[in-house]
Amino acid sequence: MRRSSPWVIAVVLILGAGYFSECSWKKIRPCIPEIGRKELEPTIGQGVLLGILGGFRTVVADLTWIRSYVMWERRDRAGCEALMRAACALDPHSRYFWENTGYSIGYDLAHWEIIRRGGYKNVPQETQERLFRSYARRGLDVLDDGLNYSKSKLPLLVCAGQLAEIKLKDSALASRYYHEAAVLPYAPWYAARIAAHLDWDLGKREEAYQWYRGYWLSRMKGVDDGYPDDLVQIREMEKQLKLTPQARLPKQAWEK
Amino acid sequence: MKASLQRTIWICRVTFLEAVRQRFFAFLLILGAAMVLSSVSFRVLDFGHGELKFIADFGFGGMFLFGSVLAVVMTAQLFFSEMDNRTALTLLAKPLSRTEFLLGKFFGTWAVLGVFVLILSILLGLVMWGREQELLAAAEQSGKIPAQFSAGGLLSFALLQWFRLGVVITIVLAVCAAARTFLFAVVMGAMAVVAGQLQWIAQDAVLKPTQHGLYSTFLWVTSRLIPNLQQFNIGDALVLESASVPSGAVAMAVGSGGFYMVAFLVLAALIFRRREI
Repeated sequence: MRRSSPWVIAVVLILGAGYFSECSWKKIRPCIPEIGRKELEPTIGQGVLLGILGGFRTVVADLTWIRSYVMWERRDRAGCEALMRAACALDPHSRYFWENTGYSIGYDLAHWEIIRRGGYKNVPQETQERLFRSYARRGLDVLDDGLNYSKSKLPLLVCAGQLAEIKLKDSALASRYYHEAAVLPYAPWYAARIAAHLDWDLGKREEAYQWYRGYWLSRMKGVDDGYPDDLVQIREMEKQLKLTPQARLPKQAWEK
Repeated sequence: MKASLQRTIWICRVTFLEAVRQRFFAFLLILGAAMVLSSVSFRVLDFGHGELKFIADFGFGGMFLFGSVLAVVMTAQLFFSEMDNRTALTLLAKPLSRTEFLLGKFFGTWAVLGVFVLILSILLGLVMWGREQELLAAAEQSGKIPAQFSAGGLLSFALLQWFRLGVVITIVLAVCAAARTFLFAVVMGAMAVVAGQLQWIAQDAVLKPTQHGLYSTFLWVTSRLIPNLQQFNIGDALVLESASVPSGAVAMAVGSGGFYMVAFLVLAALIFRRREI
């Protein structure tokens, strides 16, 4: 008993240190970019261990991104996607990686797949559409992940809106992304206009008009030249909705 | 007690002098310094990060990589040189206990790594400060908000790295106390560093509820026996977003490192006491 007691003390000390380390980790975890087991999977076999271990994370992410360009030039779908996702996982706060990975998967990969299957003439139109939609969905999944991690959400929302509208052909989803983008600080002017037009085309005409009008009054009227082109769009909506002059937006002093 | 402390300090001093005279130490120090100083030139390879973040990452990477290599190889080398040259036999024949010998080796090596971390941190601070001044001037002209770095945060990060390397040294010493060859100690030490850096995967899994009793027991034991070295890697947050680090987080990590060092030193001393020299 006496001979084994120092060993018991050593084990207890190590377990105690482990417990203390767990408390410390709970406090520190939010400071470390959120790379988890799920995000680690695509990085396995990509030679990015050094980045996962610590230090060099940004540098390894950059080098991984450069390697993904080589795959992109070779039109290697699996390699390109794996390396791009690895770069995102290594540096999840970087907007650049998420945005370009989403773009590449959503726009390019479907074309490569069609070419691999024999080209645009040989692949039926229906199959092409299905491929475009399926890759657009995957691109949007990447962008959605990016929205959870990246500090700069605006470009990702605009990119997701474009992808949902152009490739996925889901106007409701695209409208949701543009609406989210439009209300953020420094939102581009076109986000609100596209959001309103998508809702309008979806049949939600009254809602679209009210939202666009409110947006113009709160975010556009007092800025720069008052965004006259958007006011023209609003007037067109009022005309089509056959609103009474009282229900319309009051005429602006500078309006033609 | 006083005599014991004096003997430990004496071993520590000898170890420190022996270590700083090694070409291996000088080589890695120069390599690390060159990496930090050249980081500004490499920023053209960067995609969409803040410049200071890229430079800081280069410095953190240098400290992590070369610091870990130094901690593993130098500790094993200093330990086995005493064994192979039979100087350990002579030393331990005098009124010097094995625990004092081990403690002296630990503090001597830790002090050398302290010098390594301090020099790289000062160089990194200077490079970042220089670039920050340029960015400030450019931001004034363009009217943008410039990125800034926290010198206090860098100091805290250096302290964390020093403690991380201290934990690595104690693990390697525990391995050396049991190992018969230098190569075995180095390989096991390197594997311990990799395991420690990836331990947080088990730690994260432990914190999530799971229904598999055996699995969660395995994770619980693993996450306590292997130290979580990733908790010392909060350089980005400390240096570039110091406000985002919760108060007391650095102290907790330092405390955790200290606790592990004591635990592994006790283990190393116990193993070394049973070793035939």
